[in-house]
Amino acid sequence: MNQPSSPDAAAIRGRSLLGAMGQSLRLLTTDSFAVVGLAVLLLFVVIAISAPWIAPYEPFKAMMTESGRLNRLAPPSSAHLLGTTSFGNDVLSQFLHGFRVALLVGLVAAVAVGLISTIFGVVSGYFGGYVDDVLMRITDVALSIPTLPFSIVAVALLGPSVENIILVITILFWRNGARIIRSAVLTERERVYVKWARAAGASHLHIIMRHILPNIVRVIFLWVTMSVAFAVLTEASLSFLGLGDPTVISWGQMLNTAFSSGNLRTAWWWVIPPSLALVLLVSSLYLIGRAYEEQTNPRLRRR
Amino acid sequence: MRAYILRRLAQSVLVIWAVTTIMFFMFRVMPADPTAILLERGLSDEARNALLEQWGLTGSLWDQYVAYLGNLLVGDFGSSFLYRKPVWEVLTPLIINTLWIAVPGLLLGAALGAAIGTAVGWARRGGKLERTGIFLATVIRGVPNFVIGIALLTVFSSTLGWFPGFGMGDPGQNVGFARYFTLDFLHHLALPLIAVIIYFMPENLLLMRSGVVENRTEDYIELVRAKGVSQGRVAWHAARNSMLPLITWLFPALAETIAGIVVIEIVFSWPGVGRELVLAVTRQDYPVAQAAFFLLAVMIVLANLAADLVYGKLDPRVVYK
Repeated sequence: MNQPSSPDAAAIRGRSLLGAMGQSLRLLTTDSFAVVGLAVLLLFVVIAISAPWIAPYEPFKAMMTESGRLNRLAPPSSAHLLGTTSFGNDVLSQFLHGFRVALLVGLVAAVAVGLISTIFGVVSGYFGGYVDDVLMRITDVALSIPTLPFSIVAVALLGPSVENIILVITILFWRNGARIIRSAVLTERERVYVKWARAAGASHLHIIMRHILPNIVRVIFLWVTMSVAFAVLTEASLSFLGLGDPTVISWGQMLNTAFSSGNLRTAWWWVIPPSLALVLLVSSLYLIGRAYEEQTNPRLRRR
Repeated sequence: MRAYILRRLAQSVLVIWAVTTIMFFMFRVMPADPTAILLERGLSDEARNALLEQWGLTGSLWDQYVAYLGNLLVGDFGSSFLYRKPVWEVLTPLIINTLWIAVPGLLLGAALGAAIGTAVGWARRGGKLERTGIFLATVIRGVPNFVIGIALLTVFSSTLGWFPGFGMGDPGQNVGFARYFTLDFLHHLALPLIAVIIYFMPENLLLMRSGVVENRTEDYIELVRAKGVSQGRVAWHAARNSMLPLITWLFPALAETIAGIVVIEIVFSWPGVGRELVLAVTRQDYPVAQAAFFLLAVMIVLANLAADLVYGKLDPRVVYK
């Protein structure tokens, strides 16, 4: 029987990655701010999924009054709970559909960013040497790209669509993540148990999967959470600048239309919902991110 | 030390070259004919070719690239398609306009953030002040900058009418350099400036707070306390040592601010570089867009270089190699 009974064997085996992920998520529930953030996020996901069923009208359908004229800028009423836009669209329906774009862009971009920066960071930090030098010079170049100007130029040249916006956000935000994850890997790599496992003949893949990654899961989660926030903000800014996907409705685009048609002051029912939703979503993500930040920085823990 | 500076300089040049190259090919590979806007006004083929030649858009991509790099080296960005003027002439006043809201906005935001951040970091752990401070800072940090702008615009400009919400000055006022010293200009400056301050304060606040929290349990703080000085002076010791990350953060932040206030410039119709970049891209005025982008990238590289060098001066523990 090969029962791994010695302490050596246990040390070499390391931790399971999934276990470490679960543990990190559970840690969030001990932080009351993070719980608030998670609750808001959950609510937003539920609304985003059910948007097509709970939205009373098609988001781009022009509403008519009984006399057959375009129902422009109608204040909230029982037929239109949040009023209408200057094009006669139902604000509530546009607002509800906006949840989908925001969360879609946020989640897809964050997963892509998380994967790329983890691979970059781990390979660079763990193997070091020339690989590290080359990869870090690439991040140096990437880091000196001005974020918003680049996304404006790139989206304008590639064509404004949800896919291109996600692509541009991914190109922009892997770089900072790669740096942060790399430095976390650098500290882990020097730990005694990693050297021990290596000396005992564990493979690189085994060490990365069971020793390095489980211990830096919080750093990765922190970066993924922040990436969702950055992605939502970037999409909203681009849409506000008129570079959003014209075929789907997003909060930034609603605000762009309200702003460029000069109805900011009068049509409060059109301006407040998308603004508030953006603030709630991004702040909730920051509240969750902050909890990880306090966890990953031992000097911030309460003493 | 000298070797380090030289190496960092060489590295910066390399980075700028790489960014320029990426951008050049991005603009050229995309199918867009800059003369298309002029064709509508009835342009003969001959005149069109002459224009393309003048703009350096003839020949192979490689030739164009070499010519472009050559022109950049001598600081020639070409001429704007739209304004029919050298790009430099178009961009210089806009850069000054942007700096007018970026620099004071960033400095005031940092100072205010640092002051409140010290108070929050020094407050009792888990107490009311700490929790409210962190919560408010995190929520405000989550407000997109155009929402800040829209809110300020609706409340203080459209509803209360205290401040103008459009542009840099009323028509018929002073032009040129003198305009910056008129009350009218300051009146127009107020709202965009406040927007930048609100946008940058929370991050400074949180950074400062983390620094103070990290420092307050250090031994030297105990020593200061043992000397019997007032609470305020003890907090000041912790604050001073927490400013290091803040100061180094300020340099790259300035570059990112200039890039990031694009949206604020749009909301307040402030004629800055960022707004021009958006307009140039939508008008397909690529020389202007390219130059604006290049300048922003150079600013970020220089800011990072300055931050690295200043950090070593401020923190004697940093060793250059």
